[in-house]
Amino acid sequence: MILVAGIVFYTNPVLAEMTPKEILEKSDEARGSVKGIEWEIKLKSIENGRKQSRTLKIKACDFNSLAEFLSPPKVKGRKLLMIDRNMWFIKPGLRKPVPISPRQKLMGGASNGDIASTNYAGDYDATLVSEDTVNGELCYLLDLTAINKKVTYDRIKYWVSKKRLIGVKAEFFTVSGKMFKSATFEYGNNIQIEEKPKPFVSKMIITDAVIKENVTTMTYSKIRLRKIPDSTFNLNLLVR
Amino acid sequence: MKKNLLPLIIFIFLACFLWKPASSIAAEPGGGEETESSKLLEELKEGFEYSIRFLTSGAYQDVSNISQNPNNDFFRIPRYLTELGLRPDACLNFRRLELSVKPRLNVEWRAWEDGTRKGDDEFDNDLFINEWLTRMRVTEGLFVSYGRENLQWGPSYLFSPSNPFFMDNGRGNPKREVAGMDFARLVWLPGMSWTVSLIANLDEGRQEFRYYEFDKTYALKLDYAGQEEYAGLILSHKESDRTKLGAYGGWTATDALLLYGEGVVSRGSNALYPKNAGNPLGASMEAADDDDSSFKSIFLVGGSYTLEMGPTLTVEYVYNGPGYSDTQADAYYRLRQDAADAYALTGLIQGLSRLTLSRTADPKLRFLRRNYVMLQYNHNDIKDVLNLTFRWTQNIDDGSGQFTSIVECFVGDHTQLFLVGSVNSGGRDTEFRTPLGCQCMIGLEYTF
Repeated sequence: MILVAGIVFYTNPVLAEMTPKEILEKSDEARGSVKGIEWEIKLKSIENGRKQSRTLKIKACDFNSLAEFLSPPKVKGRKLLMIDRNMWFIKPGLRKPVPISPRQKLMGGASNGDIASTNYAGDYDATLVSEDTVNGELCYLLDLTAINKKVTYDRIKYWVSKKRLIGVKAEFFTVSGKMFKSATFEYGNNIQIEEKPKPFVSKMIITDAVIKENVTTMTYSKIRLRKIPDSTFNLNLLVR
Repeated sequence: MKKNLLPLIIFIFLACFLWKPASSIAAEPGGGEETESSKLLEELKEGFEYSIRFLTSGAYQDVSNISQNPNNDFFRIPRYLTELGLRPDACLNFRRLELSVKPRLNVEWRAWEDGTRKGDDEFDNDLFINEWLTRMRVTEGLFVSYGRENLQWGPSYLFSPSNPFFMDNGRGNPKREVAGMDFARLVWLPGMSWTVSLIANLDEGRQEFRYYEFDKTYALKLDYAGQEEYAGLILSHKESDRTKLGAYGGWTATDALLLYGEGVVSRGSNALYPKNAGNPLGASMEAADDDDSSFKSIFLVGGSYTLEMGPTLTVEYVYNGPGYSDTQADAYYRLRQDAADAYALTGLIQGLSRLTLSRTADPKLRFLRRNYVMLQYNHNDIKDVLNLTFRWTQNIDDGSGQFTSIVECFVGDHTQLFLVGSVNSGGRDTEFRTPLGCQCMIGLEYTF
C-alpha cells in the first residue's frame, strides 16, 4: 500500500496531498452531499422477472432529506423523511408518521438508505487499498468501513476515478463479509459548486450479487441547488 | 350536509383568485411583465398538489350480546354496512401561505339484524370537511396556523399516551379516517434540532363527544431530533380537568432496530371507577381519583426489528396506571351487568341504567386494565403488490386479546383491494369481549 500511495503522490502532486477521506469527500459532492439540493429520481427495478417503477422528488441538506413519491398513483403522496439516521414514513390518509429503520426496502434492490445516502465520508473510515481500472479509467480503490453499526452497509469497496474524483463503482458487503450487491455510477448531469461546473450523478445501477438479473436503476434529473429551509424536514409542519 | 363548507369555499376562492391573474397575465404580450407572470404561474403550479381517492367497502359486524350492549339496544350496531367515499385532498403552497383542504363525501347503507332495530335498514349521506388548514410563515422559523386537523405524533402503534388531544391514532383501521378537531398552532424552529409548539384545541370539529362535553385543551410541545434519536415533551392542560406532562422518544439503535417509549403523568385522574352508591343499582361510576394528588402514569415501551427478508416485527408493552385492579374490574362488570338487567325496565331505573352504561362505555380510560402487550408483524410491498399487517393485543390482567389484520393488495397502478378484520377473544367479563365479537371490512380504493 505504501508503494501504491508513493506512486499516487509521484504521479499527481495536487492529489498527492489528498488523504483517502478527502478523496471521499470530493467524490461525495458529485452524489449530492452539498448544502441544499433538490432532484428527481426515477427508480426502475427488475426483481425475479417482475418490473417496478417509482418517481421520487428528493430535497436534501446536510444529513437530512425528504423523499416525496410522485408516481405511480398507488404510492403518490407517500413521504419518507430522514433526519440523519432517524426515518419516518408518511402515508396519505394516515396522519401519524411511522418511524422506520434504514434497512427497510424502498423498492427492488434499493434500500431507504440508498436514495439520499450520499455522505460516505461522514459514515465510513476510508483506506486506500490500491489502484484499479474501471472501464479503462484509472481509479483509487478505497475500502470503506462503517464508523458505527448504524449505517446501511458495513463495508463498501469503492472505486473513485483518479482524474475526475467521482465514484464510479461500489460493492456492498454484509457484516459476515459477503457481497450482496454492487453498483455503478454515471455522471451525465452538471451542477455549479462555487461557480465551477461539477459533474453530478445521473444514474446508479444496483445489481444483486447472487441473482445478477435483479437490477435496480436510479436515474437522477431536475437537479436544483438551492437553500432548503429547516422547516422542510420538520415533522410538525410536514404532515398535513 | 352536517357541517358548513366555508373552508372549502374560501380555499377555492383563494385558489381562483391566485390562479386567474396569473393565467390571464401570462397570455398578454410584453417582455418583463410576461416573464414575471409566467414565473408566478409556474410558482403556483409548483405549489399546488392534489390527490383524489375513491373508496367503496362492505363490512360485516358480529354483534355480541354482552352487558355493555344488552340485546344490541344500547349501541344499536348494524350487522351490515356498505360505504362509498370520495376523498380529495388539495394543498396550495404559495410563498408564505399554505392552504389545504380535505372535503369528504360519504354515502352509507346500514342494516340491522340484532335488537329492536332488527330488520331495519337506512341510507345516509354526508358531505363535510374532515380537515383544512391555513398556515402562514411569519419568519423563516415561525409559523402560525388555524384549521381542522388530526394532530398525531409519537412512535407507538397501539396508542399515543403523550397525545392529549386524540385517543385514536388511526392505526386500528387505516381506511377509517380520524375525525379532525379545530386547532390554533404557533410553531417556532429555533434551530434544526429543536421545535417549540403552542397548540390550542378550540373546538371539537368533526369529533363526536357522545357522553361528555368537549373541553378546550392547551399544550406546549417541545420536540428534539438528533442524529439517531428524537424526543418530545408535552405539557398540556384541559379546561375543567388537570395538567398533564407527556413525553415520547425513539432511538435508531442499529440500521434494523428501533427502540422507543411514550408516556404521560398527572396528579390524580379523571377516570371513572365503580363506587358504592345509594341508588337502586347499589353503585355508580365516579371520578374517584379526581382530587387525588398522587402521580398517575401511563407509559409504553416498544421496539421494532426489520429482518433481512423484509418483514418488521414490533413489540410494545403498556402500563396503564389509572387502569382497574382485579377488585375494581369485578365491581365494574357487576355494575354493568346490573345496569344491563335494568335496561329493559321502565321508569327512573331505566334512566339510571342508561346513564350507567354510558359511563361504563367510556370511563375516560383508553384501556380498562393495567398491563398490555402488543405483537405486530408488518411486511409492505411484497412483490410490489401486497402489504400485510397482523397485530395481536393481549390484556395481561384478564387474559383477553384482540387480533387485527390489515391486508392491502394492489391491482395495477391505481387500484387497491383491502381487507381489515378484527377478532376478539376472552371470557365473560373481560376487556376484549366487546360488543363487536368480530368484524370484517372488504373494499376497494382507487387513486386517480
